[in-house]
Amino acid sequence: MRQTDPVLLLIEDDPADARLIQRAIEKVDIPAKVIHISDGDKAVAYLAGEGAYADRDQYPLPWLMMVDVKLPKRSGIEVLQWVRAQEGFISSTPVVMFSSSSHGVDINAAYHYGANSYLVKPESSHQLQSMLSLVKSYWFLVSQFPHHPDQRGKSAAN
Amino acid sequence: MELRVASEVGRFEDEGWRVRKDGSRFWANVVITAIRNKEGRLVGFGKITRDLTERRIAEQRYRMLVEGVKDYAIYSLDKDGTVTSWNAGAQRIKGYTADEIVGKHFSNFYTAEDAEAGMPARVLDTARKEGHFEGEGWRVRKDGSRFWSSVVVTPIHDDEGNVTGFSKVTRDITDRKKLMDDLQQHAHELEVQMAERERTNAELEAFSYSVSHDLRAPLRAIEGFASALEEDYGPQFDETAKDYLNQIRSASIRMSRLVQDLLAYGRLSRIELVMRQVDIQATLESVARESNVGASALIFEGDMYRKVIAHEPTLIQVFANLISNAFKFQKRGTKAIVVVRTEKAEEGLVRISVIDNGIGIAPQHREKIFKVFERLHGMDEFPGTGIGLAIVKRGVERMGGRVGVDSVPGHGSTFWVELPAAPEGQAS
Repeated sequence: MRQTDPVLLLIEDDPADARLIQRAIEKVDIPAKVIHISDGDKAVAYLAGEGAYADRDQYPLPWLMMVDVKLPKRSGIEVLQWVRAQEGFISSTPVVMFSSSSHGVDINAAYHYGANSYLVKPESSHQLQSMLSLVKSYWFLVSQFPHHPDQRGKSAAN
Repeated sequence: MELRVASEVGRFEDEGWRVRKDGSRFWANVVITAIRNKEGRLVGFGKITRDLTERRIAEQRYRMLVEGVKDYAIYSLDKDGTVTSWNAGAQRIKGYTADEIVGKHFSNFYTAEDAEAGMPARVLDTARKEGHFEGEGWRVRKDGSRFWSSVVVTPIHDDEGNVTGFSKVTRDITDRKKLMDDLQQHAHELEVQMAERERTNAELEAFSYSVSHDLRAPLRAIEGFASALEEDYGPQFDETAKDYLNQIRSASIRMSRLVQDLLAYGRLSRIELVMRQVDIQATLESVARESNVGASALIFEGDMYRKVIAHEPTLIQVFANLISNAFKFQKRGTKAIVVVRTEKAEEGLVRISVIDNGIGIAPQHREKIFKVFERLHGMDEFPGTGIGLAIVKRGVERMGGRVGVDSVPGHGSTFWVELPAAPEGQAS
């Protein structure tokens, strides 16, 4: 797979939530390949291209990350901190945090450590689709993604 | 005798009663001085007699005053700390009679530790240097028992300014000390309790946090997959299968509401409510707009300009529950008419009544309905979690108000809340 194709990295530990989110992403037709990672440590390994994730063709860097705040091992916030602390291009990756928690502490921590957005998981699948439709509109239709120095030269909208 | 003394030492002074010509007595100060010529031979005596009756009486009164004081130990020490006088208060407080203690050192009054540590000497030193010593501490009575004393020591000077002794005033303030100690102990216990409560609150907060996260996740999954089944495979289902799906979905929605309401109810008891002025009508209208009844469905009566002192998010919860109940508990086929009346109540409160034309509540149930999980109806008839009115009651009470219900079964109910009125003519 060419790295110029949009990739959405979904980091979510709850398999049911992951399935439902992936289904909703398909329903609203987000123009990106969705790669699902189930915990914080794996997410960091993926982003660092370590171990099983060394092959960048198979595991390309994401254009957008959706990160659950609560994750086993490294939490979503810790993944976010790791991303923002990197030297290279990864640190610019847009990160959308999402959680079933609407606690101020979580929300503030997410923005403090550089989240681009914070979404609360809706109660119903209908609301979930509405929300992801907005994610699609905002990130994939009207926003520009950071330009990768080598390969990535255009936004998903082009 | 007087003259012999005067001739031997050159001067004789004495005080005592003397008799006037008319027989009356006066207190005399007598000074006899030997008069000698140049050769030193005694040639006579000079005698000065002063009438000191007034001073004598004043001194006596003063001494009686001091000696008679019972609440204070007032006594004097010589410059080394030996007791030279003793009053009734001193005897009462310290237990020694004058005979027992005059001539003894005042370090007897100190605890062994303090005496050993040189406290008595330090007290006199401070009084000597600074002209004053004031302090509190344990002292020992004759019988060995201790009392907490407040002490003032003042040095006594002679005409040349040398310290000749000390006056000492001691009070027994054991009761006050005990009171202060009790207060301190009480304050400390309160602090401990507060810390404990804060810890419990933090634990409850953590608990509700994990409930809201962990309990709702499976609910989302149940609802989500039921919806997915219906959306993706709906055409293949017959009516029974669709009904089963609906049962799953509505159960999960109910459970989700239950969790939300329980969290709201629990949170109400713990969170700190920041009170401010809230406009009643504006709040009611926004609540009705947010719910599915619509803002225009409410009929307002009374002085709707009134504002109350309330915690706005809690007031919104209270109104939301009352309004949804007013529209929910209706006879089949009747159009709900809900009136909100605002009026002044007693004791600076405002009464807000939500009046419906619904099914009403039998008298025996009117207390019960404000308790958690008390439901009077089956789920088919009137769905609900049984927490709404408990939230209303706790919310209103935590805001310093009252809540109640009047009802005519079959004709409707009036739920009222009373909250502190905001001062009028003041901007919010």
